[in-house]
Amino acid sequence: MLSLYLLQIVNGLGLGMIYFLIAVGLTIIFGLLNFVNFAHGAFFLLGSYLCYTAVSLTGNFWLALLVAPLLVAALAWVVERVLIQRIYHLPHTFQILVTLGIALIIQEASVIIWGPVGKSVAVPAALRGVVVIGNFVYPHYRIFLIAFSALIALALWLLLERTRFGALVRAGSESTETVSLLGTNIFRLFSVTFALGVGLAGMAGVLFAPLRGAQPFVGPEILGVAFVVVVIGGMGSFGGALVGGLLVGVVQSVMTTLWPQGASLMIYGAMAAVILIRPYGLFGRA
Amino acid sequence: MQRRSLLKAGLVAGGLCSLPLAVRQAFAADPFTFYGLKSMSGAFASYGKYADMGSRLAVKEQGELLGRPLNYKVIDTEGNAGKAVRKVQEAIQQDGARFFQGCTLSSSALAVAKEVDKAGGVFMTPVGADEVTGKDCNAATFRWSVPTYGAIRETMVPLIKRLPEAKRWYTITPQYVFGEALLENAKQVCKEHGLEHVGNSYHSLQEQEFSGYLTNALAAQPDVLVLLNFGSQSSNALRQAVNFGIKERMKVLLVWSAGLDQFQELGSDVLEGVYLGAQYWHQVDTPMNRELVAATKAAYGINPNYPLAADYISTKVMLQAIVKTGSFDGPTVAKALQGLSYEGPTGSESIRAGDHQVIKDYYLLLGKAASERKDDDDLATVVSAGKSFPEVAATGCSLA
Repeated sequence: MLSLYLLQIVNGLGLGMIYFLIAVGLTIIFGLLNFVNFAHGAFFLLGSYLCYTAVSLTGNFWLALLVAPLLVAALAWVVERVLIQRIYHLPHTFQILVTLGIALIIQEASVIIWGPVGKSVAVPAALRGVVVIGNFVYPHYRIFLIAFSALIALALWLLLERTRFGALVRAGSESTETVSLLGTNIFRLFSVTFALGVGLAGMAGVLFAPLRGAQPFVGPEILGVAFVVVVIGGMGSFGGALVGGLLVGVVQSVMTTLWPQGASLMIYGAMAAVILIRPYGLFGRA
Repeated sequence: MQRRSLLKAGLVAGGLCSLPLAVRQAFAADPFTFYGLKSMSGAFASYGKYADMGSRLAVKEQGELLGRPLNYKVIDTEGNAGKAVRKVQEAIQQDGARFFQGCTLSSSALAVAKEVDKAGGVFMTPVGADEVTGKDCNAATFRWSVPTYGAIRETMVPLIKRLPEAKRWYTITPQYVFGEALLENAKQVCKEHGLEHVGNSYHSLQEQEFSGYLTNALAAQPDVLVLLNFGSQSSNALRQAVNFGIKERMKVLLVWSAGLDQFQELGSDVLEGVYLGAQYWHQVDTPMNRELVAATKAAYGINPNYPLAADYISTKVMLQAIVKTGSFDGPTVAKALQGLSYEGPTGSESIRAGDHQVIKDYYLLLGKAASERKDDDDLATVVSAGKSFPEVAATGCSLA
């Protein structure tokens, strides 16, 4: 039995890296823009569908992994310039309403374009098969997801900590007026950051497609997971998204053995426990 | 004077000749409306779209009903029981609606059934919950699909015979009434055949991540993994099971598949070698199914799938019962449906009087490899078909 729990912890860590990838874009957007993006799940879903289309047309998953997030980011940039920029100054309630509207539009457009039945994306041939260690069986594709998510995490950390862009993003999260007064085009910074955050959601959608297919109504579920991870880690905290993702993944996976029917519920239980002890999340700020 | 008399006589004669036409027109102006309850929007829109196509096909084939033009009206249930009931109540009270067919969710069907029964109408549904023809049965409601008892017995029992060496069975079950019913039936079958039910993992109705449950299953080392979930949960569970290499380690049985549209979504990579339970399969060779396939291809350019076939035959049977009785009275038509035998897409089907359950085949299919397929829809082959239903006394239904 102990070995089963160990297996579930390892599975949970893998799942957690995937959840980090889903949530990190949301936390970056909130961290800099103080903007609650309720369309995050919808952009994830769009990434999945664009992946399906790209793979159907070209047979190449890697091309889809390159192109689909860029397309999602480009769409996000347009949406930000046309609509989101006008509501930054408004209370969060308005931001939620507008982004919920965007989410519904994306969802229904997906149904019109791709139909109401979900679509499957095959695991790339190079990543099929499993690793077997005793009783533990783990798919090559999930190992790739863990490694890729870790690479993305490292790349994001380097971007945020070691580049001028990252310095501006971190400074802007403290004080947008100061950054603006120092000569930075703050609106362009916002657009690029929003596109980056949403592009990461699109990338997560691409990577998830071989696991769950492209489904038109998956947006709210993904948004829920993303918010749980971000709240646990602390809104706007990159490190928090990583730790939050891992915690959610491990809790969910271990619970499938301890209390299977409550596995989904317990990720919200974990969130409640964390914010009781630390209301702003593990790495959040007031 | 003679000219005037001649003119008057001509007018009267003309009036008398046109009287039957006027009378016909007066009655023909009163069309009859048949109501389809379909999930045209929301999470189950994929099902509703095909269900609607099936009902429309049956209505179009019927043409007119007892001299009245036949209309078909869709009520969008939105996959929500509360909205479905409210819309049905409006149709009954405002439009005098009495004949309904459809519903995707058991919760919607159970609620609608009560309303239609109160109004003295007739309702035929393809949902799966045992209660529909069990403890919540009523005089107005009929069910086409095979419920959990038959779904389990017509998949597990043939598989047990096919795999005599498979002694250890593991189940993954959604924790709600329908899942529990499938699980209880599965456990009973294991007991009857001396098999070991080595474990079960429940999951919630919202679950889409099955890696943990599959890890549980792998640790139990069963010979057969039985998936008792359905819809997108079963698709994801199966997809992830294949990803975890489970097909190479044990046999997989999905008891309650959605049929062709689900198989089209999953594809041969996932389906190959997987055993699948199904209410309907387009390749089944019966006279009526051949006609249905031809009609569906002519009308829509596709092969019929389960929602299309289920709602087609249910609508057709209801309309033909109206014709048979010569009446639009709900209780009269309901009485005519009881004990009715007819040729359906699964072969000879009959409506059991004691609980209004249609007695028909349930299928065990085996997913095909891509190289074996003759066309895009040739995704599985029929391994077994049969009828298994509990005795009326055991269902809890009392239609006295």
